Amino acid sequence: MKYGDKIIYMEGIIVEVSDGAVGIDLKGRLGYLKIPMRMLITDYEIKVGQEVGFNMSFIEQLSADVNEIYVINQIKGKEK
Amino acid sequence: MSISEATAKEHANDPAVLCCRAEEGTVLTSHNLEDPAIFDDLVDSGLLNLDGCLKIGQVIGAALKKTCDSLTPLTVDTIDQIQETQDNSNDSIPSSAASDSANLTAPIKNGTLKISIGQGTDIHIELPLGSISSDAEPETKLLRCLTRNHYKITEVKRGPKTMIDGTTLTIREGIEADAIASQELVHDLKIDIITPDMYHTYSETILDVQPIATKEGHDLVGTGTTRVLDGVVMMVTGTDDNGVQIGEFGSSEGYLDENIMWGRPGAPDQGEIFIKTQVTIKAGTNMERPGPLAAHAATDIITEEIRQALKKVADDALIVDTQTFEQYRRPGKKKVVVVKEIMGQGAMHDNLLLPLEPVGILGAKPNVDLGNVPVMVSPLEVLDGCIHALTCIGPASKEMSRHYFREPLVLETLFDPELDLCGVLLVGSPQINAEKFYVSRRVGMTCEAMEVDGAFVTTEGFGNNHIDFASHIEQIGMRDIAVVGLSFCAKQGALVVGNKYMTHMVDNNKSEGGIENEVLANNTLCHEDAIRAIAMLKAQMSGSSVKPAERKWNPDIKKNNIELISNVTGKPIVPVENETSLPMSQKRKEKYS
Repeated sequence: MKYGDKIIYMEGIIVEVSDGAVGIDLKGRLGYLKIPMRMLITDYEIKVGQEVGFNMSFIEQLSADVNEIYVINQIKGKEK
Repeated sequence: MSISEATAKEHANDPAVLCCRAEEGTVLTSHNLEDPAIFDDLVDSGLLNLDGCLKIGQVIGAALKKTCDSLTPLTVDTIDQIQETQDNSNDSIPSSAASDSANLTAPIKNGTLKISIGQGTDIHIELPLGSISSDAEPETKLLRCLTRNHYKITEVKRGPKTMIDGTTLTIREGIEADAIASQELVHDLKIDIITPDMYHTYSETILDVQPIATKEGHDLVGTGTTRVLDGVVMMVTGTDDNGVQIGEFGSSEGYLDENIMWGRPGAPDQGEIFIKTQVTIKAGTNMERPGPLAAHAATDIITEEIRQALKKVADDALIVDTQTFEQYRRPGKKKVVVVKEIMGQGAMHDNLLLPLEPVGILGAKPNVDLGNVPVMVSPLEVLDGCIHALTCIGPASKEMSRHYFREPLVLETLFDPELDLCGVLLVGSPQINAEKFYVSRRVGMTCEAMEVDGAFVTTEGFGNNHIDFASHIEQIGMRDIAVVGLSFCAKQGALVVGNKYMTHMVDNNKSEGGIENEVLANNTLCHEDAIRAIAMLKAQMSGSSVKPAERKWNPDIKKNNIELISNVTGKPIVPVENETSLPMSQKRKEKYS
């Protein structure tokens, strides 16, 4: 990672809640995250519309290579 | 920020750094010193250099030779005289005969008389003859036994009827329809019989690996006799109608031989045949509680029919191995408890507790519905499949049903004659922090009521469960009970919180990079971790100190500890293999190049 220590404070909005996961829209239309319940730290009952905050960095490519295993998994998933 | 006198005493051997500007001639007290807890960050960022820095105990009471700014490390050049430090270990040397006698009455606990003499002369010990007799050592008491009879299976095939004939297991053709019909949410189910020559087969995410076992007669789980099939395991996999993996996250879909860490307590062993179900559930239910449960329940229809066939086997000559587990109460030995934190956040973060059959479903209660409160089970119930795990993430660190059936920490502690394992406390990990602290306070109170000398706290995976994991350790530690924590941490699973009781920790990591590497069961608790944890708990209970961990993950600590334990016990410990022993897929090549 070349820029791994560039930590930025981010905020998002909970837009989807299921029994095992939450969906979060990053503010400013910067993307969408879906994370398992256990990766979210909560002091209150989770509700759609609540705001969340976290630190993240920029996402970097690790190499130019394509990992065929993941490509196969994608194709298998779409076949269904 | 300055520190209190008590903190200064606690950190007498840590570096002394001024918290704020101090004038020449100032006689240093704790109020002039900075909290050592923040030094690591300052050193890492280059703001502080502790070379030649004196210890807190060496500077309190000394006078400053020159005016210094805040965050100045105190060295021999900045103070007038190094103060004499008091070695804490000398504090407890009894100075009079009166304190000797006091020492003799206090440490008698659970039939053990403990006399610790650090240093001393002219020590006279008098004991009334009646107080210690030759039969003072209380007898161990056998509480219960569990016998496992193993039946070998070398071939699994389909046929008109589910039956076991010799070493051949036949599964009824058309059983899939019954399994599908049993669950409203299950739309399709396929059975694949994976023999070792087919290990390079694509598979959906592996939800669970389960032993096939059944109780004899009316025996309850955890006692009596269990029949278990060797050489074959159940494997639950699945997606929803749209092809989305059940559990969705940290998927281990792909070629089986590249995604399974063979031989882990929870994983299949090389050479075993998998009865793999591929369950398709209603679209969109993969992350709702009923979805994953339906996939497990449908698979259990098949397992249950095999169990019924196994019950009918009448030929004892087919038993290839018999294991007997005995649970003893060992009065006089250190009483310990294993606290196992299991997931309870909901959906696939759930576990079914205490089914009627080993790793069954019927009769079991989801720990989420039990409010995640601590449930005490016997070690033999754990080893007899009293936990049916619904956990789906992450593949490398989750504890599957088979893990509990072969739980290394429970096994090692159960067989250790120096320890009195009183039980295994299962506690769920709820989602909301207030509930986490609710259950962890119950854990502390339970340990207090049991009057244990020591406790192990284990957890699986990583995430918000580390909050209650830390709280369990705090609740136990604050009651002066020795406590050792076990978890996958390394790099990616680094703890999110800590407290002053988290001083004895064992990392379950096995991966080269210290990450969740998507290889099934790679970073789960193994025997080598259990052995380290037991050595650490024994050291703590006997009053020995354990060196603080380094600030950043360093895999050499584990190697050194294993070597130290091997040297003392004379029993070599061979660390288990990790993902580098598997066929090197492109995926892993990229990760570790």
